[in-house]
Amino acid sequence: MRSRWQTALLAFPALVVFGAFSVLPLLSVVRYATWRWSGVTEPVPVGLLNLARLVSDGALWRSLGTTLLFMFVALPAFLVLSVVIAMAIEGVRLERFVKALLFLPGLITVGGSAIAWYLLYNPDFGLVVELSGLALPWTTVPWAALLFVVLFTLWQQTGYGVLVTSASLRGIPREVKEAARIDGASEHQVRLHITLPLLKPTLLFLLVVGTVFALQSYTAVYLLTRGGPFGSTRVLGYYLYETAFERFELGYGAAVTLFVMLVTLAVASVQAKLLARRGGVEVQG
Amino acid sequence: MRAITAAFCLFVALPILWLVYAAFLPAEALVQANLATFGVSFDNFAALWGSGLWRALGVSVSATSLVVLGQLTFGLGAAYAIRNGFRLLGLVMVLLALPTELLIIPLYRQLQSLALLDTLAALILPFLASPLVIFLLLQALRRIPRETIEAARLDGAGELTIVGRIVAPMLRPELLATGVLAFASHWNLVLYPRVMTSESLWTVQAVLTELLRTRPFEWGLLGAAALVTSLPILLLYSLFEKRIVQVFEAGFRS
Repeated sequence: MRSRWQTALLAFPALVVFGAFSVLPLLSVVRYATWRWSGVTEPVPVGLLNLARLVSDGALWRSLGTTLLFMFVALPAFLVLSVVIAMAIEGVRLERFVKALLFLPGLITVGGSAIAWYLLYNPDFGLVVELSGLALPWTTVPWAALLFVVLFTLWQQTGYGVLVTSASLRGIPREVKEAARIDGASEHQVRLHITLPLLKPTLLFLLVVGTVFALQSYTAVYLLTRGGPFGSTRVLGYYLYETAFERFELGYGAAVTLFVMLVTLAVASVQAKLLARRGGVEVQG
Repeated sequence: MRAITAAFCLFVALPILWLVYAAFLPAEALVQANLATFGVSFDNFAALWGSGLWRALGVSVSATSLVVLGQLTFGLGAAYAIRNGFRLLGLVMVLLALPTELLIIPLYRQLQSLALLDTLAALILPFLASPLVIFLLLQALRRIPRETIEAARLDGAGELTIVGRIVAPMLRPELLATGVLAFASHWNLVLYPRVMTSESLWTVQAVLTELLRTRPFEWGLLGAAALVTSLPILLLYSLFEKRIVQVFEAGFRS
């Protein structure tokens, strides 16, 4: 009895923080979505006006399209790179070095990373264009800008994917692969027909996490392109930020928050269903 | 596959190397547009005085350290409680999918009504518990045999004593590695500090984005600023890289 009371006491601080700064905001965003509110003046209740505006807001739907496009380019590349690199470095002498290197961009100062990318790849005066004459015109051409944000995101995040994949590669029993080799399978065949199917749960896990991340993140966009040129990189998260803290429509911003949450929930639940059906990863409780 | 890996490693390393190089670039090299000049100069670092960066470093270091301390203490408690059967994991998994960036508007209102906008507390309080830290520590806790904890209980130790005296020392490497990850994630917040605080409390990220916006042509200065603000994490990472990679991998071994 005493032990149960103490267990609750141990969980208490985290519960308070989550309750006050995650659950409560999560619930109140529904109420804020019914306000007209600039963030400074007193809010005015306007009922369902903001929600109705969501439906007819062309910029929002364009922004959803941009986000999905970003996802469809970035996610497959992320998964393929994670698998290919994790397989290539398995058991190699440089394994530790490669992992340490790839994990680094996710850790170093994100503002600093943006500066490095800006100075390296700026199409007007960046080092790459100075030395090679080749430039990705990401400051002026819409598709190039989106590609640039994708590349930056891959640069930052692929290390996580490689580590997770590599961890699950190590979980595959040696005997399974040995047996296939004895049966005369080539290394290539072993990878394709033995290892890859066994990695499926991990890949689905990365897919779900990657999707949630792709649908909500906007720091890279803020740092590199600010949604431009011509709105070509205005992903949902950035649209939310602009609405609330550049146009100071926090009430409508709350409605957009709800919209982003619903989209995330819809996409993630479809994927989770996929995950469950394939007997994917279980998080043991 | 090797070729792809090698190419990608180069792609990852290039901006990091360039950053270090630019930071020490003498000003003449830029004026003459001769980037092959090999000279080491500390002028760029000297030029950082008065850019507001040093003050921001102070803000970032103090806020982030407190946050990490809180996340580890509360996180270990929560992870241990979950392991003891306290039903919290569901909430943790949901919150894992809801980053602070998304909740920025309701948080703004909440901090406003608590009169915490533009205070150091705004950078600290909402981050004192982290779902990712709880998740990683829980994975680590699962590797401690139940018998160890049972034995302590039989000796009459209370749960608080078990966490503080037995579990925490056993998990020291995991706490350390998780701490570095937690440090990086709070250190790297960009939009949150800009929204919640004004210039006197800007963190390093806020100042960096401001520098990039207002002085985009001063490469050396930007490089130096980027390097200085990355240094704490680079240092922590190079000291504990092996542990961090291990703990992260172990956390996601499914």
